[in-house]
Amino acid sequence: MKTLLETFCALPCVSGDEPAFRAQMRELLAPLGEVSFLPSGTVLCRLPVKKPGLPVVLLEAHLDRIGLMVARISEKGFVHASAVGGVDPRTLAAARVTIHTKAGAVAGVVCATPPHLAEKEGALPKPADVAIDVGLTAEAARERIGYGDRITLDGPFTPLLGDRVAAPAVDDCVGCAVVVRAAELLRACKTAQIVVALCAQEEVGGAGAVTAANAVSPDFCFAVDATFAETPDSDPAAVMKLGGGPAIGFAPVLDRGLCNRLVETAKEQNIPWQAEIMTRSTGTDADHIAPAGRGVRTALVSVPERYMHTAGEVVSLADAEQTALLLAKTIGGGLR
Amino acid sequence: MRDLVKRLCEARGISGDESAVRAVIERELAGVCPLRTDPLGNLIAEKAGRPANKTLVFFAHMDEVGALVTRIGDDGLLRFSPIGIDAAVLGGRRVRVGRENLPGVIGAKALHHLKKDEEETAPKAEALFIDIGAADRAEAGQHVAPGDAVTFDDPYLGELGDGFVCSRALDNRLGCAQLIELLRSDCPFAFTGVFTCGEESSLFGATAAANATAPEIAVVLETTTAGDVDGAPADKVVCALGKGPVVSFADRGTLFDRELFALAFDTAKQNNIPVQTKEGVFGSNEGRVVGRAGSGAQVCAVSVPCRYLHSASVVAKWSDIEDSARLIRALAQRFAAL
Repeated sequence: MKTLLETFCALPCVSGDEPAFRAQMRELLAPLGEVSFLPSGTVLCRLPVKKPGLPVVLLEAHLDRIGLMVARISEKGFVHASAVGGVDPRTLAAARVTIHTKAGAVAGVVCATPPHLAEKEGALPKPADVAIDVGLTAEAARERIGYGDRITLDGPFTPLLGDRVAAPAVDDCVGCAVVVRAAELLRACKTAQIVVALCAQEEVGGAGAVTAANAVSPDFCFAVDATFAETPDSDPAAVMKLGGGPAIGFAPVLDRGLCNRLVETAKEQNIPWQAEIMTRSTGTDADHIAPAGRGVRTALVSVPERYMHTAGEVVSLADAEQTALLLAKTIGGGLR
Repeated sequence: MRDLVKRLCEARGISGDESAVRAVIERELAGVCPLRTDPLGNLIAEKAGRPANKTLVFFAHMDEVGALVTRIGDDGLLRFSPIGIDAAVLGGRRVRVGRENLPGVIGAKALHHLKKDEEETAPKAEALFIDIGAADRAEAGQHVAPGDAVTFDDPYLGELGDGFVCSRALDNRLGCAQLIELLRSDCPFAFTGVFTCGEESSLFGATAAANATAPEIAVVLETTTAGDVDGAPADKVVCALGKGPVVSFADRGTLFDRELFALAFDTAKQNNIPVQTKEGVFGSNEGRVVGRAGSGAQVCAVSVPCRYLHSASVVAKWSDIEDSARLIRALAQRFAAL
């Protein structure tokens, strides 16, 4: 799980840049089944069909991550960028970033307003217009850097104490790692036809998920995403426990029967789990998949993480491993 | 110079915990000149040579901005108190904690749970915490204790764009590098170089070192904030990268000696070295204490202009660093002859 997560975290795949990672996706998923790509950038991998007539189960996570994109280069040579998805403004000042240009990576630092210049104390950079210092003149910057070039927040993949790791884009690299792991566990599955979907553009509206559901027309879908884990300053009712096991989602859009199957399986298999209750939308691709086509019975299982949408998202590897196990056991046990 | 700056930046040392930095400097100056460490941890170097007319002492502080662990929570998260860091640059940063240099992340609740006003203002340091992955207080306590040092963890980047360097702790390892180069130089005059402790807290190191060395001319080798970023009005730029060393006439702590200030500009002109001043009275440094020892000293400050000064990603320009070294070498001779 650690290696798999690290592999996904190492791909600087900001929303809209998914097609650039087709070669890596093919290499990673080809051992599992037949790999194909949708125009949206979504990657599909169909596991071999064991016998006709099996229910089609979509194992879904999103491939994209939040980031920034180049909008303008100023006369002084600063790169002005606009957020792609929900970038955390509290983490931007003086943050290291990488601009992914057609000629390669360009390092940068997000400008931090010197204290004597701040309009008010503690003013944060605005995600709609983030100035980045790349140490270049305007002329050199314009030559090397293009409009729309995607920008990632720098941060290494760092093992912390215990089984926890910190990395950028654990949301939703952990989901990608979980569905790939679950598919590996289901390689011999004779109760379902498994299709893995690593979807594009979740952070900007879910176009990759809708098109995946349309293309596959699954009978069931299990969406896997990252969810909020508790911190001392969070509302206890809105967060899960880090290390508390997979969070099984309950929400109007989610299929109650599938959710219950997940809970039953967790109990049978002694897999720790927690319930995540969402009264409105889930804020995940599940919202887009469930109503796709003629409707898809959809469940959502999430891995708790801290510091979502920063360059140091923290997750427990055991939670991720248990999530993959829960999915494999639930699907392997047969769905109705 | 570049390798020296890298070696100095790779050592970690917040105020009151400078021993690792001192060890690097001791290695750099081994065999160059006699060194001694005073009771507070200042490293004092005596350059041999012809006696200067006035006692000439250069100061460069070794410490960097950082934080101290104040408390370990039941949840295994560490509370901390910053030393010298602006809270706006803390959120989301990777850090190293304690003697084991344990990796950690500065965290807070998720963006998605913020109220509107919380999205526009940086959280205060008291509202943040460091996550080292510990599941509870007992696990954290095996590795970390209150009082342990916290430093930023962003890597040293020797080449940012065309001719820039980006690192934590450039404030003030650049000043240390300047002083090391000066002590290694062929300057014919005797002078004292002090690598000080505690500038980012209360200037305690420089205060005691000035008492011990009794300068008549005190020169502070430092870094200073440049406001040459997009959106800054001309009257707030103060100084800019690429325009050479910054010689101050005043800051919020010191009225620098006018004779030395004029001499610095004259020396730069004679030697064709670009030079600038701080156009505005902002910030302060050890100048405020090194002129007050004994019967006092004339004080001068030469700084390398830096962007994002008290953050994990300070940016400076190599040409400014090299021009500063040239100016400081030339100034040492002029000051010694005063």
